[in-house]
Amino acid sequence: MEMPLIAFENLEVRYPTASVPALKGLSLTLERGIVGLLGPNGSGKSTLLKALLGLLTPSRGSGTVLGVPLGGGEAARLRARIGYMPEYDALIEDASAYEQVAFWGELSGLAPEAARDRAHEVLYFVGLDEARYRPVSGYSTGMRQRVKLAQALVHSPELIFLDEPTNGLDPDGRRRMLDLVLRVHAELGTGVILASHLLGDVERVADQLVILDQGQIKAAGSMTGLRRALARRVELRFLDPLEPAQEAALTELGTVLEARNGLYDLELTEAEPAGAFRWAQARGATLVQVTPRHDRLDEVLLRALHGPAPVLDGGN
Amino acid sequence: MPIYAPSLPPAPDLRHGQPPAVVLMRFDLTRLWRQKIGRFFGFAFLAMLLWKIARIYVDHLLNTNQAFKPMQDFARTILTQGAAFQADLLNPASYLLWFLVALVGGGLVARDTLYRVRPLMYAHPVAPRDYLLAKLGFASVLPFAILLPFALLPWLMSLLLAGLSGPVWVTAPLRLLPAMAVSSVLMGSLAVGASSMASTPRAGIGWVLGLVLGAGTLASMIHHLTGFRAIDALNPVLLAEAWPQLLVGVDHPLVAWVPALVGTAAHIGLWTFVAAKRTQPSEAVL
Repeated sequence: MEMPLIAFENLEVRYPTASVPALKGLSLTLERGIVGLLGPNGSGKSTLLKALLGLLTPSRGSGTVLGVPLGGGEAARLRARIGYMPEYDALIEDASAYEQVAFWGELSGLAPEAARDRAHEVLYFVGLDEARYRPVSGYSTGMRQRVKLAQALVHSPELIFLDEPTNGLDPDGRRRMLDLVLRVHAELGTGVILASHLLGDVERVADQLVILDQGQIKAAGSMTGLRRALARRVELRFLDPLEPAQEAALTELGTVLEARNGLYDLELTEAEPAGAFRWAQARGATLVQVTPRHDRLDEVLLRALHGPAPVLDGGN
Repeated sequence: MPIYAPSLPPAPDLRHGQPPAVVLMRFDLTRLWRQKIGRFFGFAFLAMLLWKIARIYVDHLLNTNQAFKPMQDFARTILTQGAAFQADLLNPASYLLWFLVALVGGGLVARDTLYRVRPLMYAHPVAPRDYLLAKLGFASVLPFAILLPFALLPWLMSLLLAGLSGPVWVTAPLRLLPAMAVSSVLMGSLAVGASSMASTPRAGIGWVLGLVLGAGTLASMIHHLTGFRAIDALNPVLLAEAWPQLLVGVDHPLVAWVPALVGTAAHIGLWTFVAAKRTQPSEAVL
């Protein structure tokens, strides 16, 4: 069995000066793949990344990243196997892309000459070729993001954390960055954790999802499994058009989004679509088909955030 | 549309790299070398070094050539060959050296704060102590490396030209090198501590100069108001100049042994502590 990318058991992380923990009892197992990390501001995403990098020690519980226990004395060894692309501009403005990527490679443990060779390779991989000798102060936002990705990849990490990698990019730059993220996983076999507020980005590349709120996991699991578990949009087809009274009573099932020729798009209040058949029987209507509709990721996110209990889907 | 490589080969072995502190110091050195400031100070210190060596050569000529007898008598009044001359091999450069330390050291930590690269360093296998060691090391090694030829070349030339009777004592390096080490660590720790309090390199330069000149002014005021001479140990410039004097045994050093020890330890301890606190990962917002 393949070692999980990340595994937590009742993990709690507390800042020294804070009275309440920043992460509360997280239990989670993530397989190798592209994981989307979602949550509102202050939900604990950055704290989780710090804990995963070994910069914060768990106050309770246990966890492993790439099989290395968190909070042990192996944080430095773990960080050599992880790449991190921060959200903010962490670039050395007076150095060229080539110089700084080689520098970060050396800091990760590469010998000086190997780091220089590797900087060329990785900058070429991210699409910065001729520009790599120019100081980064003259780079466009897209080029700067690619330098940040290059520094995260320079030491061939087994796992990379990408924090808002498409921040400030135009649609074309965004597409290219997401293509790179997909290639990093597909061609290099690198696990990816992608934190983003742009749900479209996460939807496009992630195969697993973790939704955090107030330091707790609200939903976690495979993208398809969570979509299934949190799906509420259905299309109902009745044999005969509904009477006006029956139509009005549809609100008992949920919110009617659209009605046309005996077809009704609904967002159900309950997760279980079988309730629609019971409703039809009670109202004297003949329901012939219930078709699940594609829920947008923002709808899934909001349902997870406002749901009464965490949704954990183990089916990857 | 950029042309992408088909794929990326795996990176070489990560176990052959240098320690993070050495990598950080080398990067700072490369950065300094690129700047004009490095070249300017390089010429300035080279000129001073040539002047020092020229003085020893002139002394040699005066001693060996009878045609220069009248000049030799005059030269004896300026080339004392005593302890003060040995200590003075380092001192004339000290104000310029403090200025260089402020210009270079002031930006050492502040530049990383401005560019927000420190949190990224801590996301690599770099511990806060590696970072602190690298910055303190660089800021201390720089003045030491500049002072090194001032201590060694005149000594070597004196030895070659005049043997044991030359103007520079044979044992001078044994006394000057430890003094240089103490002064350099004092300069380095103050620069790094001050730089850690600044958010831009320019502010860092201001902090270093402000602390050096401010401490000196305060010490001078208290000294003259109260007559308490030991308070001069608050002045880092005087401390840096006093150590060569103390170790070569000058009769009346700028600061006496006990105040110099206490003042130097207090400065190094305080500024290292400040730098350590200000460069903790808790300050690093990911």
